[in-house]
This record gives sequence, structure tokens and C-alpha cells, in this order.
Amino acid sequence: MKYLTEYRDGAVGRGLISRIRKAASRPWVLMEVCGGQTHTIVRQGLIELLDGAVEMIHGPGCPVCVTPLEQIDKALRLAADPGVIFTSFGDMLRVPGSECDLLQVRARGGQVRVVYSPLDALELAIRTPDKQVVFFAVGFETTAPANAMAVWRARQLGVRNFTILVSHVTVPPAMTAILSAPDNRVQAFLAAGHVCTVMGWTEYEPIAHRYKVPIIVTGFEPLDLLEGMYLAVRQLEAGRYEVENQYARAVRREGTVPARDLVARVFRLVDRKWRGIGEIPQSGLGLREEYADFDAEYRFGLGAVQVSEPAECRAGDVLRGRLKPYQCPAFGCRCTPEHPLGAPMVSSEGACAAYYNYGRFRQTPAEVSGG
Amino acid sequence: MCLGIPGRILEIRDDRGLMMGQVDFGGVRREVCLAYVADEVGPGDYVVVHVGFAISRVDESEARRTFEALREMSQLEELDWMREVAEQSLATVKESRP
Repeated sequence: MKYLTEYRDGAVGRGLISRIRKAASRPWVLMEVCGGQTHTIVRQGLIELLDGAVEMIHGPGCPVCVTPLEQIDKALRLAADPGVIFTSFGDMLRVPGSECDLLQVRARGGQVRVVYSPLDALELAIRTPDKQVVFFAVGFETTAPANAMAVWRARQLGVRNFTILVSHVTVPPAMTAILSAPDNRVQAFLAAGHVCTVMGWTEYEPIAHRYKVPIIVTGFEPLDLLEGMYLAVRQLEAGRYEVENQYARAVRREGTVPARDLVARVFRLVDRKWRGIGEIPQSGLGLREEYADFDAEYRFGLGAVQVSEPAECRAGDVLRGRLKPYQCPAFGCRCTPEHPLGAPMVSSEGACAAYYNYGRFRQTPAEVSGG
Repeated sequence: MCLGIPGRILEIRDDRGLMMGQVDFGGVRREVCLAYVADEVGPGDYVVVHVGFAISRVDESEARRTFEALREMSQLEELDWMREVAEQSLATVKESRP
């Protein structure tokens, strides 16, 4: 495919790696925000190739991983309702709730269907007027425009049996939370390029300035990530801290304005809990009052739920970059993609699954001796 | 779900006021909502698609420019490396002379 395969060129990649290694006078600590980027980095073995020139801490940008347990349990409750067809992106089906997951609810007779787009869920609602169709609206700023459109469209077409269970999160407050933590080690960010295709990068300028961290808007192919790292190292070496756009072929400073506009019309900022991390103020999106009729929590009167997280899962430490997945005692033995204890082992964007699937769990000598 | 994929627009149609289109992802075709990029795309253009929605147009000239810059950089890097290797072997040759 054009403009995809080029950015996987091995020779150019080797050249960039050599540049980074030469440019870095010390092992700078960078964080890639998005789980999709984590998978490229781990899968391509970029960490090993960089040979300590930079340390990559994997960020919390995996929507599956950070969806709070309360919302998963609410999804499970709705999916078990015989009057409901519960629709979701495929990667939410195996995320463990307090007692089971959506696949198990389906095995017991619940109507759980995987859809590719929220518009498919809306179409299903139009075709099955005798059922309530609920869509599990999770994700970052990349999926928010799709979910906003589904709700806006449902209202426009007068569809009465369609609602969404919202668990949206946004990136900038999470970056701020990471940088304000007393034990923060992150010195520069590779910002999630696709979030920025929608939102642009103006929100990141005050963060870069306030915390004096370079923020590089970065794409998802191996060369994108290597160039992002190189730009970050170059800024760090020069003592600069600016927002720089590596992903210029898809990201404009102002983002995609019609998408931002509809998100702002349908959603508002709310406080949101992040699984494994805790509540981050004004870090989530909830439906505006005008769209309350399309809010599943409101329609089905879902109140507070009691949750229980498996004590052995260290997902919170992994998501905050305090623990590498292979340093967790349960990794690869009591926690595998087939039998996950926590969400990062499930998702195609989770850090634990990336390390497990690509076999990257060799410890460095320093980690072995230092613990 | 958060994985965006670039695809090429094949055709565009109107679905009850919403701009939709067929997008080709390296041979796999899918129906995609184009409403958010309606003003800037036409058949043949590349777009980044997330969960059935085009969220950005891919600027082909920018894609080419970035790649060429990277390739040039890596070629320079290779020249540097060849020079280093040449200098090292030259030094070894000198040292090993009686």
C-alpha cells in the first residue's frame, strides 16, 4: 500500500537508529503515549536495536486497558439483559470484569455483537426496533468523532432504541497527571499521531512549556517512531521543549475541525476514572444533557456498582511506566492472553500483550542484578 | 480499536445526507463515513480511517517529502559509516606495517 510500506524501510530505519545513538549523550527517557505505537516498538525490536540510547516507557494510551472496571461491570449487566443487544468493538469482549467478561455473558445467552463502527450498531437498532441496542462507546479522541456521529445521527433519524454506554478518555490530562507525579521519569513524549489528526496539537503547547518537555506528534510506522525519537533526542540535547510534528502527512495544527466540532456539540468534559490509575479530573467525555436520551446509564438507570479487581494484577504500575510487563510476577504464567488477569494482557494495544506476543521479556543485566 | 489505517477512496455517495464512500485498504474494501473530511477529499485521495470514519486526509506530497528526507539522512549516515570503516582499516594497515 502506498505511503505505508515506505515507512517500514529497513535500510532507512538502520540509518535513523545510528543517528539516534550518535545524538544521545545519555539514555533519555521517552514515553510513547499510544498502545498502537507500543506494539510497533516492541514488535520491531526497536528497543533492542537502540541499545540503551533511549529508554522507552510505555504510556497509558490503550483504551481497552484504562476503561474502568465499573464501566465493564455495567456493560456486563446490560449485555445480560434479554431486551438488549449489546454491541462493542471486538477488543472489549475479553476484558475481565469483576466476575466474568462479555464473551462469557454471550456464552450464557446474552446478545453481544461485535461491530466495526458505531454506525453499524445504529443500523442494527434501525433494523431491530423491538430491541434496545446499546453501543459500548470507549476510546480516546480517535473514536470520539465516530461515537458523536452515531448519537447525532440517531437523533436526526429519530431512532429511539439506540443508546451508548460512554467511557471516553482524553490524552492531555493523562500526560499532565504523569508529569505531575512526584516519581515521574518521562523527559519527552511521542504524542499519539492519530489523536492529533482529530485534535491537532494546540492542547500540547502549554504542557510542553509548563513541564519543559519536548512533545513530538508521531505516527505509527517504524520509521515514524524512529524519527519521533530522533526529534525528541535532538530537542533534549539542545535543551529545547517544543511541540514538533513528525506526522505531517496526516496531522495539521488545528486537527480535523468538523470532527472536533461535533465531538464538542455532543460531549462535554467530565471527571473520569482510569483503570489501574484512578480518577483524573476532566479527563473524560460524557454526553451533554441534550443527548441524555441516548445515554445508556440514564435510560437503564444504572447506579453505582461494587467492583473487585484481582489483587495480583499490577496493570496500574505497568500503565504508569513503573513496571515493565515482564517484571510482574504473574506475567506469562498466571496471566496470559488466553487467561488474562488484567486488560493490558488482552488488548491488541496493551503493553503486556505486546511483550507476551512478541517474546520481548529478556531482562537486561542491570535489571537482573538491581531487581 | 485505536488503530488507524490509511486507505484510498474509490467512490463517494450520499446516504440520507451523510457523505459515505468505498475505501480500499490494500485490496480490502469497506464502507467508510467521509463526513468529517467532506470538504477536502475526492476519489483517489488517501485518508486515515478509524472505526469506519475517515478522520484525516493523507497529504501525498508531504508523505513523499518526509520519506525522501529520511532516506537522504540515512544515506548520509551510511556514507559516514563507510568513511569511518575506511579510516579505521587505513589506520590498521598503517599500524601493521613493519
